[in-house]
Amino acid sequence: MTMTGGWHPVALSTSIEPASSAGTHIGGGEFVVWRDGSGAAHVWEDRCPHRGMKLSFGFVRGDHIACLYHGWQYDAAGRCRYIPAHPDLEVPKTITVPAYRTVEAAGMIWASRDPEPATAPADPGEVVPVRSLYLAASAETVLQVVEGFPPRPFGGDAGPAGLEPVGANLHRLDIGPDTLLLGLQRLSDERTALHIVIAGPAETYSGEGQKHFLAWTAALRHRLESAPAADAVLSTEAV
Amino acid sequence: MAGIVFHNYELDECCYKVRLALSMLGLEWQTVAVDAFPGSEQVSPLYLAMNPLGSLPILKDGGLVLHGAETILAHLARSRDPSGRWLPAGGGEFAGVMQWLVFSAASLSVTVRARSSALFDTPGDEEAPRASAAKALRIMDDHMTARGFDGADWFAAGHATIADIALFPAFALSRDYGVDHDEYPALRRWARRFRAVPGFMTMPGIPDYH
Repeated sequence: MTMTGGWHPVALSTSIEPASSAGTHIGGGEFVVWRDGSGAAHVWEDRCPHRGMKLSFGFVRGDHIACLYHGWQYDAAGRCRYIPAHPDLEVPKTITVPAYRTVEAAGMIWASRDPEPATAPADPGEVVPVRSLYLAASAETVLQVVEGFPPRPFGGDAGPAGLEPVGANLHRLDIGPDTLLLGLQRLSDERTALHIVIAGPAETYSGEGQKHFLAWTAALRHRLESAPAADAVLSTEAV
Repeated sequence: MAGIVFHNYELDECCYKVRLALSMLGLEWQTVAVDAFPGSEQVSPLYLAMNPLGSLPILKDGGLVLHGAETILAHLARSRDPSGRWLPAGGGEFAGVMQWLVFSAASLSVTVRARSSALFDTPGDEEAPRASAAKALRIMDDHMTARGFDGADWFAAGHATIADIALFPAFALSRDYGVDHDEYPALRRWARRFRAVPGFMTMPGIPDYH
């Protein structure tokens, strides 16, 4: 099992600073998310073809990412451009790392393996990041618990909450006057990352609004982890 | 003997905390290399006389013989940093530094056990310490996520303090005990800033990017 078709969120945009990298998983497969010096994000297979080292352990210089083991450098298209042990060698163009289509939308970095993927997640306008929440549960269980345990709105009284999909791995959670966007990353069958942003202006949500929804994420995680089983959480909610 | 004499083992992350502090505070010191592995010199009678706990680091400063990285950090900051930046004198910043120093010495000691078990094959279960270590790092990541919403880049103040020094090794070395950095985005950002503090140095297990 690895990356299925369509778009997958892999990180909040703000979590991957220019000239930095991080490892992640989709469907049990290993990927590196990195941002080059000019700010463009890339998602690749997390494996240097030389000795199999994780590229996410490496480092970014300009528009290249370098492997930590022997310094092999790859350009933004995934092609090896420089091998320090053979500085004069013109590197064969067959030495490449599989690269995935990468876009940024809704404050998140998205990847797709499809050569011509479905339309990228729609741009919802200004968003304010909350966090990426890592949970030991399937994506389906996470969604059910979110639906049964929504946050209180930041600015107003509690009202009816509504959770609806707005893309394959993107959900919209309306709570009173507020809207959260939830990117669902299936790390594996039993582990899920929930990338959470607030749809709205920084002027309204920056600082206190972010902290309000951060507190909810901690409570949500606690609820998931303290339940004897996911089914029990749901049956409690149903009462 | 005048000046600072530091009894060090290069692969010990608690010794690394002290090396970072000595370097970041811009101090001069003399190092005594201790054969902790495989020699177990730190539990020899000579070393037990300096620290009955049989652990490193140990730092001598004039007539003082100190053990415990957090104690040594606080001593160095208080006695050698007149600006008070590394250990703020009062208020919430002092309390915050103390809270995270205690967290480092108590809650993060599980990361020392997890790493020691993975690296030096010390007896004991490997999986339980790893899970506890991951949970301790998560507490740090939660804190730094919230700090970010206040526009603060550091654990306890508007600048780096000895709390950041005490906390850095457990995160930076977590791959030694099988915990990756994937799920700690706020700590990744903090570690990048920490590496840029003047006087920063690496140790085996923490890559020196070049």
